[in-house]
Amino acid sequence: MQDLSPLHQAILNGDAKAAKAITEQALAAGVDPVKLVQENMVPAMSEVGQKFECNEYFVPELLLAARAMKAALELVRPLLVAGGIEPIGRVVIGTVKGDMHDIGKNLVSAMLEGGGFEVIDLGVNVPPDRFVAAVKEKNAKIVALSALLTTTMPSMKATIDAFKEAGIREQVKILIGGAPVTQRYADEIGADGYSDSAANAAGLARQVSS
Amino acid sequence: MTDREWQTLLAVIRGEQLRPLPTAFIIDSPWLPNWAGHTILDYLSNGNIWFQAHQKALSTFPKTIFLPGFWSEYGLCTEPSAFGAVSSFEEDAFPFAKRLLPTIESVDTVEKPNPRTDGLLPLVIKRLKHAQPEIEKSGHKIRFAVARGPLNIASFLMGTSEFLMALKTDAARMHRFLKVITDFLVEWLAWQRECFPSIDGILVLDDLMGFVGKDDFVEFGLPYLKRVFAADVSLKFFHNDAPAKVCAPFLAEAGINLFNFGFQHTLNDMKEWTGGKITLLGNLPPRDVLAKGTPEQVRDETIILINQLKDRSRIILSAGGGMPPGTPTQNIAAFIKTVEEFTK
Repeated sequence: MQDLSPLHQAILNGDAKAAKAITEQALAAGVDPVKLVQENMVPAMSEVGQKFECNEYFVPELLLAARAMKAALELVRPLLVAGGIEPIGRVVIGTVKGDMHDIGKNLVSAMLEGGGFEVIDLGVNVPPDRFVAAVKEKNAKIVALSALLTTTMPSMKATIDAFKEAGIREQVKILIGGAPVTQRYADEIGADGYSDSAANAAGLARQVSS
Repeated sequence: MTDREWQTLLAVIRGEQLRPLPTAFIIDSPWLPNWAGHTILDYLSNGNIWFQAHQKALSTFPKTIFLPGFWSEYGLCTEPSAFGAVSSFEEDAFPFAKRLLPTIESVDTVEKPNPRTDGLLPLVIKRLKHAQPEIEKSGHKIRFAVARGPLNIASFLMGTSEFLMALKTDAARMHRFLKVITDFLVEWLAWQRECFPSIDGILVLDDLMGFVGKDDFVEFGLPYLKRVFAADVSLKFFHNDAPAKVCAPFLAEAGINLFNFGFQHTLNDMKEWTGGKITLLGNLPPRDVLAKGTPEQVRDETIILINQLKDRSRIILSAGGGMPPGTPTQNIAAFIKTVEEFTK
C-alpha cells in the first residue's frame, strides 16, 4: 500500500507543488480519491488547525497549507464528480461588501472543500445582491460570510436582509465569521451559525446541513 | 489636542500615576461622521463638516482625550492611494483601497511615491492646513503625524493572503517591497511634521503585524517599525487590534511608548508582555459593550476592567481598538463617568 504520509507532510509544510505531485502519483497508482481526501488531506488540515490554536502556526502558515490542499483537491475533484460522488452540500462564500480581506474566506474555503462541500467562491467586496444571485444560480443551501473589519460587519446584516427581500431567506443557512465577529453579533443579526475558526467551519456547515 | 491633554499623555508615559485615570479614544471616519449627523462621504469631502464634527465631539466629551485629535484621513485609502491604488468611496460606507498589484512579481514595479504630491496625501495636508487657524483658536494643536503601517499598506497593494504567503515564499522580494513602503512612510511622516511644527507624536496603525508569528514579526515587522518610529518625537503611538501577544515584547525595542490593542488580551497580560515599559490604551470590548451595550452594561464592564487592574501606572482607559461605529453618546459618557468615579 502506498505511503501517503508525504502528502500529509506537504500540506502541513504548505508545499503546494509537492502536494500536487504526490496526489498525481497517488491517483495514477490507483489510490481512491475519497480516501486521499478523507484520510490524508483533511487530517493534515486538522493538524494545521491545531497548530494554529497552539500558536505554533500563524496566518501565513495556514494560508500556505490551505493553498497546498486546494492544489491537491483540484486534481481529485473531477474524479469525485466522475465517480458520482455528490458533495455534502453547496456553499457560496465571500468577503462582504467594503472588505478586501480574503484570509478567512480562503481558509474556510479550503476546509469546506476538504470537508466534502462544493464551494463557490465569490471573492472579496461582494455586495449582498451577488450573494443572492449566486445562491439562486447554483442552488446553494449555505452562505458563508467573512469580514475582517468592524466597519464592514454591517454588510453581513445587509446581506441577510437581501435574502429576506428576495424571499429566499428560509431556503439557506447563513454562517458568519471573521476576526471581529462574535456569537453575540451572529445572534443579533439572525445568522444561522458562527464559527470562531476556519477549522470548525466544515463541522458547522455539516451541522446546519442536517 | 490641548496642551493640558498633551501633558497628560506625556505624564502617563513617564509613569506618573494620575487620579482619576485618564481616558482616551481613537476617533475617525468609522464613528465620527454618523455620530455627528453626517454621511461618511460628506465628512471626508467637506472640510467644514469634518472640522465641526471634531468640534462637536470635543465639546460633548470635554473630559476625555481624542486621538490623534483632528485626524485628517481618508480611511484605509490614504497611503495606498499614493502608490496608485484605486480608492472606493460610497455615500455612507467606510472607504477602502482596491488591490493594485496582480502578481508577486509586479511588486518589483512599485516606486516610492512623493508624499507632497501623490494620491490623497496633499488633500490630507490641505484639509488640516485650512482648519489649522480654527483648531488653534479653539485651544488645540496638531500633535500627531499619522499613517498606516508598512505591512498594512503592503497587504492593500498586494492582497492580504498573497502578501502573507509571500513572506514565506519570496522573502527577499518582500523585503525590497517593505523597504520601498517604509522609505515612503518615513518621508510621509516627516512631511507631516514639516507642515505642522507643533507635531511631537507619531501614530502608526498596522493590524497585519498581529497575523504573523514571532520569527516573521522579527524579520518583517520589527525592523520596519523601528525605522518608522526612529523619528525624534516624544510620543510614539502604535495601534494593532489583531492578536498582539507576539509583537508585545518587541514594542519598546521598536521605540513605541503608547499602544492600543484589541480586547482579546487583558490589560494585565499586555502589561506583563510589554515589560511594563509601554503605556497601554484599552481595552473595553468596543462593539459588544461600548457600542451595543446599555449605559448600565458599559458602567458594569468598566468597573470590572478597573478592578482587574494589578498596576494602574501607564494605563489610559479606552476601547480595545478605535471607537466602533454606532457608539452612542450615553455609552461614551457612562464610560468616562465611571472611570472618573472609580479611579479618583
